[in-house]
Amino acid sequence: MAKILEGPAMKLFNKWGIPVPNYVVIMDPNRLEQLGEANKWLRESKLVVKAHEAIGGRFKLGLVKLGLNLEGALEAAKEMIGREIGTSTVRQVIVAEMLDHDEEYYISIAGNRDGAELLLSTKGGIDIEDNWDTVKRLFIPLDENPTIERITEAALEAGFIGEIAERVAKIASRLILCFDDEDAQSIEINPLVIRKSDMRFAALDAVMNVDWDARFRHADWDFKPVSEIGRPYTEAEQQIMDIDARIKGSVKLVEVPGGDIALLTAGGGASVFYSDAVVARGGSIANYAEYSGDPPDWAVEALTETICRLPKIRHIIVGGAIANFTDVKATFSGIINGFRESKSKGYLENVTIWVRRGGPNENQGLAAIKKLQEEGFDIHVYDRSMPMTDIVDMALNS
Amino acid sequence: MSILANRETRAVIIGGIAGLNAAKRMAQFDFLINRPLTVQAFVYPPEEGQQKEIYRGGELNNVTVYSSLEKALEENPQINTALIYIGASRAYQSAKEAIESKEIKLVSMITEGVPEKDAKRLRILALQHGKIFNGPSSIGIMSAGECRLGVIGGEYKNLKLCNLYRPGSFGVITKSGGLSNEAMWLCAQNGNGITSAVAIGGDSYPGTDFVTYLEMFENDPETKAVVIVGEVGGTLEEEAAEWYGKEIRRIKLVAAIGGTCQEVLPQGMKFGHAGAKEGKKGLGSARSKMNALREAGALVPDTFGGLSKAIKQVYQELLSTGVIKPEPELDEKLLPTLPPSVQEVMKQGDIIVEPLIRTTISDDRGEEPRYVGYAASELCEKGYGIEDVVALLWNKKLPSKEESEIIKRIIMISADHGPAVSGAFGSIIAACAGIDLPQAVSAGMTMIGPRFGGAVTNAGKYFKYGVKEYPNDIAGFLSWMKQNVGPVPGIGHRVKSLKNPDKRVKYLVEYVKNQTTLHTPCLDYALEVEKITTSKKDNLILNVDGTIGCILVDLDFPEYSLNGFFVLARTIGMIGHWIDQNNQNARLIRLYDYLINYAVKEERDVPEKK
Repeated sequence: MAKILEGPAMKLFNKWGIPVPNYVVIMDPNRLEQLGEANKWLRESKLVVKAHEAIGGRFKLGLVKLGLNLEGALEAAKEMIGREIGTSTVRQVIVAEMLDHDEEYYISIAGNRDGAELLLSTKGGIDIEDNWDTVKRLFIPLDENPTIERITEAALEAGFIGEIAERVAKIASRLILCFDDEDAQSIEINPLVIRKSDMRFAALDAVMNVDWDARFRHADWDFKPVSEIGRPYTEAEQQIMDIDARIKGSVKLVEVPGGDIALLTAGGGASVFYSDAVVARGGSIANYAEYSGDPPDWAVEALTETICRLPKIRHIIVGGAIANFTDVKATFSGIINGFRESKSKGYLENVTIWVRRGGPNENQGLAAIKKLQEEGFDIHVYDRSMPMTDIVDMALNS
Repeated sequence: MSILANRETRAVIIGGIAGLNAAKRMAQFDFLINRPLTVQAFVYPPEEGQQKEIYRGGELNNVTVYSSLEKALEENPQINTALIYIGASRAYQSAKEAIESKEIKLVSMITEGVPEKDAKRLRILALQHGKIFNGPSSIGIMSAGECRLGVIGGEYKNLKLCNLYRPGSFGVITKSGGLSNEAMWLCAQNGNGITSAVAIGGDSYPGTDFVTYLEMFENDPETKAVVIVGEVGGTLEEEAAEWYGKEIRRIKLVAAIGGTCQEVLPQGMKFGHAGAKEGKKGLGSARSKMNALREAGALVPDTFGGLSKAIKQVYQELLSTGVIKPEPELDEKLLPTLPPSVQEVMKQGDIIVEPLIRTTISDDRGEEPRYVGYAASELCEKGYGIEDVVALLWNKKLPSKEESEIIKRIIMISADHGPAVSGAFGSIIAACAGIDLPQAVSAGMTMIGPRFGGAVTNAGKYFKYGVKEYPNDIAGFLSWMKQNVGPVPGIGHRVKSLKNPDKRVKYLVEYVKNQTTLHTPCLDYALEVEKITTSKKDNLILNVDGTIGCILVDLDFPEYSLNGFFVLARTIGMIGHWIDQNNQNARLIRLYDYLINYAVKEERDVPEKK
């Protein structure tokens, strides 16, 4: 799942003939003045300025400003660029033409197991949530393009009339093409607006997710997906991602501020069950972490050190299932080094470590980590005979 | 009994090194249960025609790599299963071919990061062909006592611990690969083990689903209960619940569902497998899945740790109702142990292997090479030079400053002698013919022998003999040489003579005798010999080979090593000539006719062949 920002989404819409308003993405507010000289629409239209970042609730944060002229837009851009929201900074803004329009529609497409589903509604904009039952759904089987007649029919059923139905159907057919050819997972245009005087349509706002695994067949994807975790990545997360991109196997980290149970868990499946166990027992996690696919020990060491630095943690859960091919001895040697290094830097004070793991070379790996007890670590080590998440119960009961 | 994979399963692996590793693991299982090799062929175009070595216990098998699935199936019609281990960009095409092949009934894909659209297409294609497409991102399929597909089950020891050598009564279906292994262990620890275990992969759109395999387990009389491990995202678990609740099922169902933590995480924060994402309005949430399964009558613990107890409970029920008959535990000692590799046994100290070669000079098994024990970097740091390394590796001694200076000078003055001599000329001809550096230098090197540069060893050897056997009796030495050897090696020169002495010889002798404290019995002896021979003939001087040979003997180098100095020194020159010819872009050369005397028969007719 890879959400992309409005800018690149608009570019892809342009490519497939889906109408978008005029827009520019800028990093330097002063650039807007020059662009204003070059582009008539910037001087003559009403403008909207939005922070071009993956920040939720932009409107409430004052990161969306409407109905501006060029001067107002310049001011808004200056105000937004450089603003710090939580851990992230606004670096770009998108300045778009605010099309005067008569009506707002809703159109979206999302993949499912057998193909995709096209959703159409005449009640777009903020009204869509309350009018979800008015949405007309059209199933599109995989690798089949519905005829324009079929889509027009659906548009008529959704309540579009006459020429508008035909035009909406045409836009929808292009949306289907764009969805299919760009390996999209979902595209939601809300609102799709119409100015009836000249029958001009435009996708005013759009959310698009593409399948990042398909990037090998999209040479023109010049964008990066935005954070998949609903907020920008922290520095530590970014560092672990950089390591992840370089190695065989994988290491992953998501910080969850405020928690006191740190997770240093193995495997995409098991790691989630460990988080669940903490929550089920009334604890709060300080992070989500996962290593898998037999990553090199230095990568696991880096992950360990990052986790040891999380603030205010009381327990670290070194958990995992019985690995198929991840070498327990090798990955544990990374964890052991990470713990030693962290301790020497003053971390891990009053932190209890709980270990449960199995897999190739489990005896050696577990024996090695158990030896940390002799170095003054508060560490409890269990093998495969301990039920996987029961170390969480023990940590929370201690 | 089992589902999907059994003793009749014969597989082809499509992919490179990861597939080979899987094949090795699979052969370990074949050995454990004493069945024929599961993997019969590989398909990997870059390695077409190669044989891969697969050990089934101690038995070495060679498995062929084919360039296409078609060819592999043509030669191995017994294959009925394909495992896809190839990269994400080629996985779709490979799996498509496999699904469309008549002989193949089951395709399982371990490849991760396969585009969703490709996975969806493969699922539909398999449905159309009435085949099973398992995966992507599947660790594999295990049927206890019957067949292992993929690395599922982990290392050999674990196969035994999880009782995978004989069937039990539990089926396992998981999205996660790691948890398939864990679930198999739990079934062995708290029950009597598994019939089959399938990992369907954690992608958004796996090729199969829980229901497909639940149906299979329901129809497998040996399977009495099924453990499923699901997670947030999609609706496969809800479908499983619906299937289970629809009518009375023979099999008991135990389920663990991951992802309840997302309820309390900051909004939008998601993690885990690619498929682990909640839909609108809580659709596909872990909670909705757990509720659905519970309502359908499945046993669903609230944490994964609770799975142990749940499985135990179901097992006890099935035992008490007589559905499962207790069987005597097998003594694990009766199971075969995997033959260890020579390295492993040696580590234990249980075996003696006679070494094939012996070395006394260098060792690079540590962090850096050590020459006769000295770390190379430390030699550099402490100011030693290449001449000291020569002395170490050739004579195992660190020379004194004076000695190493002599060695250095010998190499320096011997490095090259112009393009006309046999060695350099050989390299030049080769360079002109476009031959690469190592071969062109070897061409020059082959010239070194009795007539060119090869006299150093023999000169050193015979003068040393003279010092020992004929001290103070040069005449006796010369007559012995005449009788037993011939001309004295190291004496005589084609152009140089007493009146036109070889400057290099004069220089070397002068340096060693006047500027060093080296004791030079052999060189002194050779100079005495020269006095006698030059009195007979003007050009019978001590030549450079003889001089070097004697000095090296005086430096205590073994006599058979002496030619090495000439070889080493001239290599520098020959490399220089090769580089020079390349810089000059030299062209192929051939001898002019006027440089050849064609002393051949006149032209004549070839007689008829008799």
